[in-house]
Order: sequence, then structure tokens, then C-alpha cells
Amino acid sequence: MTHEISRRTALSLGASSLAASAFAPAPSFAQRIAPPSSAPVSITYYNYNLASAGIGSEATKELIAEFTAPQPNIKVEGVPVSSGQILARVQADLVAGRTPDVAQLVFSDLDFVVRNLGVKPMTDIVPPEEWAAHTGGMVPAGLNLGALDGKVYGLAYVFSTPVLFYNATLFKQAGLDPDMPPATWAAVKEAALKLRAATAKNGVYPGVYSEFDWLLQGLFLSNGGRALSEDRRRVTFGESGAVGAIEMLRDLVKSGAHAKLAESESGDAFMSGNLGMILTTSVYQRAFLNAAKDKFELRAAKMPSFGDKPARPTNSGSALFILSKDPVKQRAAWELVKYMTSKRGYTVITSKIGYLPLRLDIVDDPQYLGAWTRENPMVRPNLEQLTRLNQWVAFPGSNYRQIARIQIAAVNEAVFGDGDIAKIMREAQERAQALMPRA
Amino acid sequence: MTDAVRLPAPFARATAEAAAPVYRVPAWVAPALFLLPAFATLGLWIYWPLIEALRLSFYEWNLLPTAAPVYVGLDNYRNLLALAELRTAAWNTVVYTLGLLPLTVALPLLIALMTREAVGRAGAVYRAIIFVPMIIAPVVVAVVWRWLLNPDHGIVNKLLGGLGVPSLRFLQDPDTAIWTIIFITGWKLVGFSTLLFAAAMTNIDQSLVEAARIDGASESQIARRIVVPLVAPTGIFLTVLTVLHGAQWSFVYINVLTQGGPRHATTNLYYLLWEYGFGTFAIGWSTAAGMLLFAAFAVFAAIGLWAMRRTDRHAH
Repeated sequence: MTHEISRRTALSLGASSLAASAFAPAPSFAQRIAPPSSAPVSITYYNYNLASAGIGSEATKELIAEFTAPQPNIKVEGVPVSSGQILARVQADLVAGRTPDVAQLVFSDLDFVVRNLGVKPMTDIVPPEEWAAHTGGMVPAGLNLGALDGKVYGLAYVFSTPVLFYNATLFKQAGLDPDMPPATWAAVKEAALKLRAATAKNGVYPGVYSEFDWLLQGLFLSNGGRALSEDRRRVTFGESGAVGAIEMLRDLVKSGAHAKLAESESGDAFMSGNLGMILTTSVYQRAFLNAAKDKFELRAAKMPSFGDKPARPTNSGSALFILSKDPVKQRAAWELVKYMTSKRGYTVITSKIGYLPLRLDIVDDPQYLGAWTRENPMVRPNLEQLTRLNQWVAFPGSNYRQIARIQIAAVNEAVFGDGDIAKIMREAQERAQALMPRA
Repeated sequence: MTDAVRLPAPFARATAEAAAPVYRVPAWVAPALFLLPAFATLGLWIYWPLIEALRLSFYEWNLLPTAAPVYVGLDNYRNLLALAELRTAAWNTVVYTLGLLPLTVALPLLIALMTREAVGRAGAVYRAIIFVPMIIAPVVVAVVWRWLLNPDHGIVNKLLGGLGVPSLRFLQDPDTAIWTIIFITGWKLVGFSTLLFAAAMTNIDQSLVEAARIDGASESQIARRIVVPLVAPTGIFLTVLTVLHGAQWSFVYINVLTQGGPRHATTNLYYLLWEYGFGTFAIGWSTAAGMLLFAAFAVFAAIGLWAMRRTDRHAH
């Protein structure tokens, strides 16, 4: 057994010294990806949109096919894994020695991915001029989403911002002006209560209770709070800004403005016309539009703010990471990443799946999204939020998932229970802090 | 191992000369050799992983070859025991166990007693109907019940509505959710338990029943005084099985239907520990959780085995 440990330690020591050399300044040419070539190469692409039924999968397959058609020397094997499972799958395959070449990984896993999977900064492996040429037209706030300690490790790929969808038909029935959607949480509460009194339907569902805490972090930020301190050393969801945001949610519940629904039911309730407002990812837009057709009028507004404080929307979603260590495969991987995040790539992703384009210059360009944007003005609030996007922060260390779980368990208890909110959140913060990396 | 190497010599000699062997193999060698494969497999598949799990429970590691295991002492245990939901989960585990007993012991016993006299084709049909839930895949069961119990358009609420009962939020209301999960878990197990009781009843010596009948005992007297005491060991067995596995059986339904919610109302020890341990292959958390459950349930198992032996003695 001791032999086993020492072997593992030796192995990991080797790995960490390897990682250390990757962080060494002035990377030599050898560490960069190979120049373009026409030699046959085959790469794997782990993608969670592929694992969804219907449109997400079809659009992704379409993009892969478009990418490989003009360059038959590159073979791309799409590996579909759901977003909740994809990191575990990548980990398992790494352990088994089948390194994925390109993987779409959720932003909340960023810290873990960088520190544990041996991912190198993209800016280190991609030649600077190629990097500049490709990322030139991208929204800087978007490009920053896949960055840690100032270095871009993953290229932001599919992501969305929080959108307040509302049922304009119910608004009219309740005597509310559908042209004036509530802009603050106080207004949301008022509208929800009126709507409920007049129509006997559910008021509002703020979709912040998911294990992926991006929307919750946006809510905290909007009230001057944070889930994690800026130096990434302290858990801060028990401090006043976050607690204030949770107090608002508790008030929504106690007043009856908050729909009594489980997270999993909220989308269905909204689509069946039984819910007035829902704050959720813009990705649902297509599903909501389909459900609303001929039944009710669907509209969208920006994320509500706390009083005069400007709302600070965060992003959901994922970035593309190049995990391959082989320079030839890295080249093919980079070409694939470039295509998926190209003007054409985002045209398909935005119009077919419903995520945001990281390139704003295609929005009104008739060659790309122009026609689609005119037909779908609902994407505007989402686009407007893109320029002032805040990074969805990943908890650090190997216990980051447990920290996120403690956070969401405490939020549930604080919002739907009767206990002292500040106390619940402070105790949870202390327990979470104990799980942070020691150094 | 040296014994094994030396063995062929005396054996070969014994067959060749049919005389008294020169080397005497100690008497324990042969039985030991017969037992060796069984012990080796047991060691390899049960005890070695157990020891390895114990060792890993003191490390922080995500199974990745690219990251080193870090020795953290008792931290994994401390973190688990500090979880805010642990107390709720422990209490829920008790509720699950006790709540399941009527469905895994009492009700099946009743059904077995009532269908005892149903023989031939009718009996077979009866037993088949009761046994069918057992062979449906758990996830399918969960999804079907979710449809049936939906507050808006589920058939159960439609029927209740017909009786004037307001729509019940079976899985969403913290007060009813755990009982709903218990019911679904139990519903699937009734058939299994009934089958075991029915099998135990066919093993009862019919002459005892006939003798009682000749003495003028009524059917209910026969059931109470003869049948039930004679199937008591099966009852104890099912009770022990439920205590040891009951909370585990509900895992699938919790995972598919409520994810432990609303507000931890349906979480139990297994689900909670799985939630914290398995998301990122946090092997330290998971093995520490496994060790804690192992320790807790070893106590229950010991009590259960003792009870089973006692009733067995009484029954014979």
C-alpha cells in the first residue's frame, strides 16, 4: 500500500512539475500548437448541447459537419454528455487515459478545470497573431468569462443572461401595462400580487435555486453582495449584500407574490400560462415562444434591479477548452474552436439554440443574424445586458461543488423557511469557508 | 503457500506406494486449501476495497492522475458531520424505515393471508397482479407516479377533485412529500414481500391446520394462532431487510422526483452523502460517507441478526 502511495505521489509530482513548467515565462515554440497541415487527424469533441434532444443537438451537429466538409483530413467525433455530467465524464476519461481534445465545460467548473486537469492558457498555446485575429471582434466582457487570474483558459462559447419573461396577456387581464414591465424587485412584487389577485394565477418565479448558481450570483451582485470575495479567498454569501437579496426573496414568498413551485415545475407552469413572470435563462426563449403561440403574448424584460442600484446580470453557460497535449491535435482542436465561435458559428447558435452571440457585429449584419434579429426583437434585452455582463465566478479548490451545494441549501432554507436569514447564511458561510483551499 | 508447493510429493507417493506416507500433512491443510478460494475472493472483492476505502477517507483527492492525493486526517469526516442537513437527513432515514414497515411487512402479510386459500389459476393471477410492480424499472415507476400525482393535470388529483377534495401537492408540499416517496417505494415492494410470505405459508405443515379445523378452530383463529406464528421468521427477516435497506430503496425516487427537496424534506442519509460525495469524484468525501454508514448500519445488522436467531429458535 505504501508502495502504491509513493508511486502515485511520484506520478503527481511529475505532473505538477510539468504543470509548473507550463506556467514558466516565455513559452518556447515547442509548447505551441502545430502549424496548419493537411495530414489526417482525428479529434474528440465533448459537448453538452449534443446530449439535448432536438434543436441544440441538431444545430451543433450542423456546425461540426460544416467545419469538416471543406477539410476532410480532420475528423471530429462528437461525444454527447449532459451539462450536469460532462465534467465527471471528462475526468473519468482522463483517468482512463482517453484525453478529450476539445471539451465544452460549465463556467462554475473553471477553477477546478484549470488547477486539476492541466489545461494551459489558450493565449500560451495559440500564436498571438492568430489569437488576436480571431478574438478581435468579440465582446471583451464575454471573452473575460473563461479567464482566471487574468489568463484566458477557455474560450467563452454558449451562454445567456437572466431574462424576465412575462405573460403580457395576464398583465392586461390584471390591469397592468405590458409596455411597462417591472424594472425593480419592488415593482415585480407589486405586479405579481395584482396579477395573482386578478387572475388567480401564480405571480413570479425567480429561477435562482438551481445548483448552477449563476443567476443567484447576479442577484447578489445587483444588491452589492458577492458569493465569493474578489481575491477568491473568502466565501461571502453570508454578508449583508447577499443577505439583503435573500430577504427580498423571503418577502416575495411571505407576501404570496412568489409562485409556490419547484424549480423543475416553473418552466412548465409558465408555458401553460399559469405563471405571470419568470426570471430565467434566455435559452428558454424558443420553448416559451412555441408554447405561447396562439395562447398568450410572450414578452421579455431585463433583469430587475434593487431600487436605484443598477442590476448586474451574470452569465450562464460554458467555454470551450483544449485538453489535448499533442500539437497536431491541438491545431485541429483550435481550428474547431475557431469555427464554433466564428460569425457563422454564432449565427447558428443564436438563431437555432437561443444563446447569445459573443460577436455583436453580426447582430444586424444581413449576412448573419440581421433578418433573424428583426423577426425576434425579444433578444434585445438579452443583448443589451451582454455589454455589462459580470463573470459567473467559480468557487475554488477541490471542494468547490460542495461549497456551491452548501450555498444553495442555505438559500433554500433562508427563503422558504422561517429562521433568521442572516444567521442561516452566516453559519453556511462559515461551514463553506472551512472547505476552501488552505493555502 | 509453501504448503501448497510441497503437497504434490506426498500425494504422488501415497498413490504409487499405497503405504504410510513419509511426510505427514497437518490435518488443517486440506480444509484450509478448500477454504482458500472462498477467502481469497472475499478478501479481494470485499475486505481489500473496504480497507482501501478506509485509507482513502483520510485523503482529499478527485481520482485524477493529474492531481495528487492530499492527506487531510479526519477532515472529511468532520465536514460531513458538520453538514446542516445531516440531522434532518438522519431523522428522515428513521421516518423512511419506520414508514416502510407497514408496506413491506404488515400489508403483505395481510394479503398473503387473504389469498392463502386462492389456489389454481385464480391464485396465480392474484399473485401475478401483486408482483407486477416489482419487475418495473424504478425510474419508470418514478416517472409514471410523477404524472399520476401532478397537481395540475394528474389523474389522482382529478379523481380527488371529483370527490370535492382540493388539489394536493403530493411531491411539492414539505409535509406530504416524504410520505409520497415512502408510498411509492413501498408500493413497489409489496409484491416481493407478499411472495415471501406466501412461500412461507405453503411450507406450513397442512396437518397442523387440519387438526385445528377438526378441533373446531375458526379460519381467523387458524390464521392468528397457527399461520402467523409459523411465518414469524419471514416477518423478522423482512423487518431486518427493511431496516437495513429501506432508506436505500427510496434513493431512486428521491433522485428522480424531489432531489431531496422541498427544503430537505425528502433527503435521507444515503442521498445527502451521495450529493456531497459523488459530484466530482471527491473520493475522500465519498469513502468517509461510506465508512460512517457502514459503522451505523453494522449496529442495526447485529441487532437484526440476533433477533432473527432468537425467533428461529422459538419457531423450532
